[in-house]
Amino acid sequence: MAPTAAEAARFARQLGLPGLGEDGLARIRAARVHVVGAGLVAGPALLSLAQAGVGTIFLDDGEDVRPGDGRTWLCAADQEGTPRALAARETLRAATSLTAVRFHATEVRPGATLVCSESQVTATRAAERARTSGVPCVVVQATDVGGQVISVPLGAPCLRCASRPAAGAHARDGVAAAMGCLGALELLLLLAGLVPRDAGRRVELKDGRFEASATVRREGCDCYLVY
Amino acid sequence: MATSIEESTALVIGAGSLGGPAALVLAGAGVGRLLLVDAAVTGQSDLSVQPGLAEADLGRPRAAALAGRLGRLFPGVAVEPIEAPFAGEAAAALVARAGVVVHASAEAELAFSANDAAMAAGRPFVHGGVLHLSAQLLTVMPGRTGCLRCLFEAPPPGGPAPGLEAPILGPLAGLAGSLMGQEAVRLLLGQPATYAGRLLTYGARAGQGRLVPVRPRPGCPACEAVQLQPPGTQGAA
Repeated sequence: MAPTAAEAARFARQLGLPGLGEDGLARIRAARVHVVGAGLVAGPALLSLAQAGVGTIFLDDGEDVRPGDGRTWLCAADQEGTPRALAARETLRAATSLTAVRFHATEVRPGATLVCSESQVTATRAAERARTSGVPCVVVQATDVGGQVISVPLGAPCLRCASRPAAGAHARDGVAAAMGCLGALELLLLLAGLVPRDAGRRVELKDGRFEASATVRREGCDCYLVY
Repeated sequence: MATSIEESTALVIGAGSLGGPAALVLAGAGVGRLLLVDAAVTGQSDLSVQPGLAEADLGRPRAAALAGRLGRLFPGVAVEPIEAPFAGEAAAALVARAGVVVHASAEAELAFSANDAAMAAGRPFVHGGVLHLSAQLLTVMPGRTGCLRCLFEAPPPGGPAPGLEAPILGPLAGLAGSLMGQEAVRLLLGQPATYAGRLLTYGARAGQGRLVPVRPRPGCPACEAVQLQPPGTQGAA
């Protein structure tokens, strides 16, 4: 579908990308993405997705704005104490009126999930829920020296199969933001059809080095069963 | 003398898709003063690639718009927008005030003039670029590593004209800009720079990065002009 005049002006730099074009933009515009988290990693990811033109974003974060949350790029100092999802929605709506920003609820049926939670338990649960719902998922795990971004398209090895143990302290701001942007980038490439939609991959950043590898199903894991 | 990041000054040249995230990371880390140089006004396409801008900024100078956003997120950081091209004696004066110079503009000519100005003043220089689905990043330590001119000698002939917007995807610029900001933070903290003397190239489609050593090139005019500064004397806010 051809972009509207407003879309053509806003997304001119994306439309010029080799391999993306109007079809790729249309797929991004049609996407409904559930984003888990609104912290240091998720903030830059949320802004990236909204500005790139994702049609609908569902916010999912239960924290309140704390001192220092300006580092999420979403929350101002005068919003301390208010729900972080509320502050995030305000910022995203100010950034672009071309993306619908809503709160995630149980009846919501997203078409893709981006997991940026700092809690391993929450991340694993969200990734598994996406997989069993038949929704492609990208998971960001950040550490102080880098981290990994794992893409789990339909039928690909699950997060438990694909992730490598990540040692290290909490990510520094710049690294967290970089990993959040990398997560958004991986999801957009998947949505736009610029990477294969049937193969999982893991992109790792460690001490300044990037490496990508195909994910492999662990022996005995039944994640080949897509419900 | 800058003894902590709160007392230091960073110069960011370009308030677009790379400069936005770099400035956000620097401000988030608590840099004392940020000098933001950008002569452009916010256009529609900026709103698809620059996380520090909003629709209300359309038509406003990008440097002032980004400074406003940083001021709301990080009230403790002094942000100085400079709505002028980076050129001439004013450019040299800005570099002299900074502890680190971040080049975040798409203009190749500007990358080389920023490199030369940083080398002449003996300031660490962080350079980044993004085009299509590829990004690059290099940190130059004057007198110790090769510089941009050691690597390429001169801007490529027939490159994009100033002001021309190359096709990019926002989050790739966000990735590169965030790493540039983090690199500048490391330098201001006196920590080793991750990309000092090595050029990172990242291809988003393959998800693969490559690191290429950048050694000083004999006869490089920028490196020969280096004036080394005693440690700890740079960039007090």
